[in-house]
Amino acid sequence: MIDENHEELAALYAFDLLEGGERERFESALASDPDLRRLVAQLRTTAAGLAHSAPEATPPPELRARVLASAERSMPATPAAPAGTLLRFPALVPWLAAAGLGITALWAGRGYLDAVSENRTLREQQQAQQASLEQVRSQLEESRRKLADSGREVAESGRKIAELESKLKTEGDLAHFKIATLASMLGNSPEALAVAVWDPAREEGILTVSKLPALAKDKDYQLWVVDTQYPAPVSGGVFVVDPVTGEARVKFHGDKPIRSIAKFAVSLERKGGVPLREGPIVLLSP
Amino acid sequence: MSLALQNTRLPSPWMGADSDWNPLAWFVEMTSPGQADPQEDRTRANAALLRRMAGGDRDALAELYDQFSRPLYATARHILNDSAEAQDVVHDVFLALWENAATFDSGRGAAFSWAVTLTRNRAIDRLRTRANRARLLGNSVPGDLGYDEDGSLLGGDSRADLGDRAVAVRSALAALPAEQQRTLELAFFSGLTQKEIAEKLSEPIGTVKARIRRGLLKLRDALADRL
Repeated sequence: MIDENHEELAALYAFDLLEGGERERFESALASDPDLRRLVAQLRTTAAGLAHSAPEATPPPELRARVLASAERSMPATPAAPAGTLLRFPALVPWLAAAGLGITALWAGRGYLDAVSENRTLREQQQAQQASLEQVRSQLEESRRKLADSGREVAESGRKIAELESKLKTEGDLAHFKIATLASMLGNSPEALAVAVWDPAREEGILTVSKLPALAKDKDYQLWVVDTQYPAPVSGGVFVVDPVTGEARVKFHGDKPIRSIAKFAVSLERKGGVPLREGPIVLLSP
Repeated sequence: MSLALQNTRLPSPWMGADSDWNPLAWFVEMTSPGQADPQEDRTRANAALLRRMAGGDRDALAELYDQFSRPLYATARHILNDSAEAQDVVHDVFLALWENAATFDSGRGAAFSWAVTLTRNRAIDRLRTRANRARLLGNSVPGDLGYDEDGSLLGGDSRADLGDRAVAVRSALAALPAEQQRTLELAFFSGLTQKEIAEKLSEPIGTVKARIRRGLLKLRDALADRL
């Protein structure tokens, strides 16, 4: 049986009109009185029914969409365990705290492991990049070394080329020279020999003789160049030999322009030479 | 046996002249079907919706919105006298229902009562934080709350447009003595304290408390199977 005072408090409580100590005392009574709780539930339902007495007002259609859109972004809370079948909430606090700590530790641990793994990966990537860099540096040094070697080789090759060019030039020049061996025509000096080399570019030549007999003082040996363009041999000048060895090496040129040499000849002439051959030929090329 | 039948007080010649017997409640009870209990069916259905919501079923939320949004919005708008603020309140209430559906305990009350409590509390909180609280509460009650000075029910709404429960509530409220009706309306919609209501009505606080008790019990009896 609920007395009138508690009915009044229950009615005020249903409208949330109890305050302070009055409210606390009523809630204490409520906790221990199931009939009072039932009454409060009825009166709360009745009070809530007054919502139907408000002037009719229809919410705008967009409000429904707004509510559902907000619900899309928010999930309902996890259902609580039914009271009486499992631990009540206060008893769960330590477990929840422990679970929270555990989850936090797991989260932190996972974060740490992730960080370690990421760090390891980064370190490995850095090492790989460092190795690649060293490899590139090594390749660069090798390339520089090869380039220097190549430079030296190029220089050496250039030098060799220059030598070859020089040699080829010399050989080419020699190819153009007229070289002839003059054999002895003398019975008393068969071993006498002479070599004549003619440079057409310079139109001069060198005559080297050996074992020619020494001559009297009024006599000279005179060199003759047979050029087919002239009817008579062209004088190449006179020379004397060493009276002991019979050798001589003299530079010569023609007293006329020489274009094509057919033969060389050496004659024994009077002192100072003659324009046209008069004496006997002592040496003659083929 | 339903709670409504348990608490309905029968008309009795043995009751005193100042008894709380409510002829409307007696009439409603007597004319209601005996076997079916629409209130319990509705309560169970709403509890089922909340269970579905707790599982993340947004269709259930939509169904609950369709059932509750009009009275909740009307309540918030009536308290705040502001459509935009009323929309914000209703939005927040349904979001709270959605997020906390798993905490609903049908043994402690109906889902609609819970939703109304949330709506009323939020609306009153807003009302109390307004800078012009004194003006609104002091000068506008009860006229701005939509009640005539004589305490009669608001006009302007077409009764045909109202739902069955709205008709029943308004009828039950209209059947109360005018002073009880006005006191209950102020207690529910104004956000005033006991003392403020007493000052507003120029009545002793004890009288206000008594009117609230009697009026609410009469409404309970009248609406037991309608809410």
